[in-house]
Amino acid sequence: MAGNSENLLSVRDLKVEYSSGGKIISAVNGVAFDLPKGGALGLVGETGAGKTTIAKAIMQILPDHATRSVTGEIIFQDRDLLKTPEEELQKIRGGDISMVFQDPMTALNPIMTVGDQIAEGIHLHQGKTKTEARQEAIRMLETVGISADRVDEYPYQFSGGMKQRVVIAIALACAPQLLIADEPTTALDVTIQAQVLDLIRNLKESQDTSLILITHDLGVVAEICDHVAVVYAGEIVERGTLEEIFDNPTHPYTVGLFGAIPELHKKVDRLSPIAGLPPDPTELPQGCYFAPRCPRATKACTEKHPSIKHLGGTHYALCDQI
Amino acid sequence: MSNTETKKVKKTAASYKPGSLRYIWYKLRHTPTAVIGMCFVVILFILSFASPYFLIDEASGQPMWQYIDMRNMNALPSAEHLFGCDEIGRDILARVLYGARYTMSIGIFSTTVSLFFGMLLGSVAGYFGGHVDNFIMRCLDVFQAFPGILLAITISATLGPGFEKIIISLGISGIPGYARMMRANILSIRGSEYAEAALSINCPTSRIIAKHIVPNAMSPLIVQTAMGIAASGLMASSLSFLGFGVQAPTPEWGSMLASARNFIRNYPHLCLFPGIFIMLTVISYNLIGDTVRDALDPKLKD
Amino acid sequence: MLRFIGRRLLQMIPILLVVAVIIFTLMELVPGDPVRIMLGDFATEAQVEEERERLGLNRPFLERFWEFIKGAVQLDFGVSYITKTSVSDELIERFPRTLKLALLSICVSALFGIPIGILCAIKANKLPDRIALVLTLLCNSMPSFWLALLLVLLFSVNLNWLPSGGIGGAQYYVLPVISSSIGSIAGIARQTRASMLEVIRADYVTTAKSKGLSQKAVILKHALGNALIPIITVIGGQFSFLMGGTTIVESVYSFPGLGLYIISGINNRDYPIVRGGVLYIAFTFSFIMLLIDIIYAFVDPRIRSQYSGKKKKKSKEAEAAA
Repeated sequence: MAGNSENLLSVRDLKVEYSSGGKIISAVNGVAFDLPKGGALGLVGETGAGKTTIAKAIMQILPDHATRSVTGEIIFQDRDLLKTPEEELQKIRGGDISMVFQDPMTALNPIMTVGDQIAEGIHLHQGKTKTEARQEAIRMLETVGISADRVDEYPYQFSGGMKQRVVIAIALACAPQLLIADEPTTALDVTIQAQVLDLIRNLKESQDTSLILITHDLGVVAEICDHVAVVYAGEIVERGTLEEIFDNPTHPYTVGLFGAIPELHKKVDRLSPIAGLPPDPTELPQGCYFAPRCPRATKACTEKHPSIKHLGGTHYALCDQI
Repeated sequence: MSNTETKKVKKTAASYKPGSLRYIWYKLRHTPTAVIGMCFVVILFILSFASPYFLIDEASGQPMWQYIDMRNMNALPSAEHLFGCDEIGRDILARVLYGARYTMSIGIFSTTVSLFFGMLLGSVAGYFGGHVDNFIMRCLDVFQAFPGILLAITISATLGPGFEKIIISLGISGIPGYARMMRANILSIRGSEYAEAALSINCPTSRIIAKHIVPNAMSPLIVQTAMGIAASGLMASSLSFLGFGVQAPTPEWGSMLASARNFIRNYPHLCLFPGIFIMLTVISYNLIGDTVRDALDPKLKD
Repeated sequence: MLRFIGRRLLQMIPILLVVAVIIFTLMELVPGDPVRIMLGDFATEAQVEEERERLGLNRPFLERFWEFIKGAVQLDFGVSYITKTSVSDELIERFPRTLKLALLSICVSALFGIPIGILCAIKANKLPDRIALVLTLLCNSMPSFWLALLLVLLFSVNLNWLPSGGIGGAQYYVLPVISSSIGSIAGIARQTRASMLEVIRADYVTTAKSKGLSQKAVILKHALGNALIPIITVIGGQFSFLMGGTTIVESVYSFPGLGLYIISGINNRDYPIVRGGVLYIAFTFSFIMLLIDIIYAFVDPRIRSQYSGKKKKKSKEAEAAA
């Protein structure tokens, strides 16, 4: 595929379906995006929009029992992860791509010391002995700001923010090329959030890691990312550089998202939330998925699915009304 | 839509509140395995009480389950006696059907006894706490130091044989399990955020108990009860087999097996049918219990 | 930890004492006169009275109870009414057999039950799982004494491979162990499946997977360890069931262990046997339950810290009991 060489990751037409209780849930419906080497992409959207599913599909760690089908292409370093055998994937996972999870309270194994949990990946991917891996784990702990003498403690002895630091240490232990951070700060206190974000940004820069940051917080995106993709009902409705999206939001949903953020320097009586709820992923509407909530929807929008529009530069939007 | 139309709309699982008794009943009616289990239990119960009226020996007019015919001693299964005859020539089919009432009802009654007293002790312990709690829990510890069926054996040895006695002894030996569970539930609910939320809006205590504590404490107990019936049915037949509880000549399945085991070398068919029926009954109770558990504890599904 | 064990051992003393009171009182209340049963229906009133005097049955309740407790503390449970032999000697001879039977059965149950449960959880709702579910339902519903009879019928009467009862070499244990463990295998397998299913979906298992561990390592190292607590609880429950169940299995196989001894004691109103046997079983059982609590602590660091903590719930309970 042409032009892929400068992209670390290219996702094309990714579709994921879950099945639950006899119903088919279309969680991701034809997502496509590119992530250049060293870039930082923000995936923005509401809860349930399919952001985490996209991340887990890239990692190939979707829950076996519920996943019905995964189709499309996920090209990472010129190989399609969806066609890569499981043993190869195990080398990529944690070695080349790692992930930081949303809830640090449940992301750590409660019956293993944090040191062992960090060392496990190092031992596995870098072929180091157990003692070397332990030394490396201690170094990682210090990197994320936890003192070395806590290496033999268990997760229940750590606070939420500290646990998230451990999770980040696990993820970055093998210096991956791509880090996927799934709402890394949502479950944390506001003061801790800033610390964790700083940590991720610093490590990203010092280790030259590319980043996919999943969040529903546009402020976080503005701070860390250089590219943005807005996800709605399992589709990317708008994507572009940070400037393109923030200065010139085009898709009605993106516009709506910005309308729902309070701004300090403007006096606004009321925020303008987006009316209605996201569509039921078991019964997606026929036309544009956003049409039922869209202030600019026409009759045509409810009948025909919109096509992607190029708005110049790397700016794309999925809407027929623009 | 008019009112008459809405009534005709077929109810689905979603139209019941999960965890409510109606929801459990809906699930029981719509799970094939549970329906099979319930049908087996109900039909066998009816047959157990009806069979003495139609399974009658024509010559003597006696019900077949107690009619002794020495000519048929240890007779193999035949068209006349489907399951064969026992060591003194009684029809095994008639005896198995008649005896169904014991194993089947002992399970239900003894579990009811355990549940009632277990809930009472558990809620008193959990609600009052302190010394009352300590005293009750230490008593339960003592009872639980008797492993498994041993407590039931010693109690029924003391009480002597009989249908009610076996219910009491199985009932008593089941109390600690239910009491502990009830106490744990009450403690966890008292500390839960929704109980605090109810308290914070000045909800009266009686309402908190009725609306929050009891319903939430009940669902694990309902699951335990549903599974417990099968287990105590098994225990009941084991006790009878050992010679405690319901005794010969009453055709309780366990005691039928106890007398049949002496003939196992030459007439194994005597051992076969009572055992099969114990198993089928326990399976039926287990199928019903599994469905109840799935209805109340959906996280185990998929 | 040592303090915890010590405390638990101390706690066992009052419990066993009350067990002794209960079993002594219950046996007093058993209908039927032991001397009558011993001497038969043709004995004269004078003979009965003489024998009662000789056995000390005419002395007041408290005096006899004190006698019993004094003996029991020194592991001396008196003389059998019928055989006139020392109950303690008989118990010491029989106890190892029953213990061996129960321990073998619980080991066999765990060795088969846990792997079957894990396989079911991995293959949840697929064919192997469904087959195993049906089989565990059957095994769970089969009365152990009936299974024992069927096994005798097949392996002793028809095939003549194994002895139908009695005691001797290892072959005398095969059928009793099978008949008592089948039900426990089913119970343990069901619990293992349920708790593995719950744990497999936990976030920390996803974390482990995303480190690049193989499925085997994820299941055995991360999932199983966390699933073990409820499994151990069930094993404890099954052990209780097995200890009691030996009475049934032993009487089918005429296996000269504690269970058969107790049953014969009850049937002959030979109370010293019953008292001694029940106390032996209650002691062993309490001891095994303590072992299980210690195993909990090895599996779960959170429980471990609770045991060593000074002001924790367990210690409060212990103080109240003392």
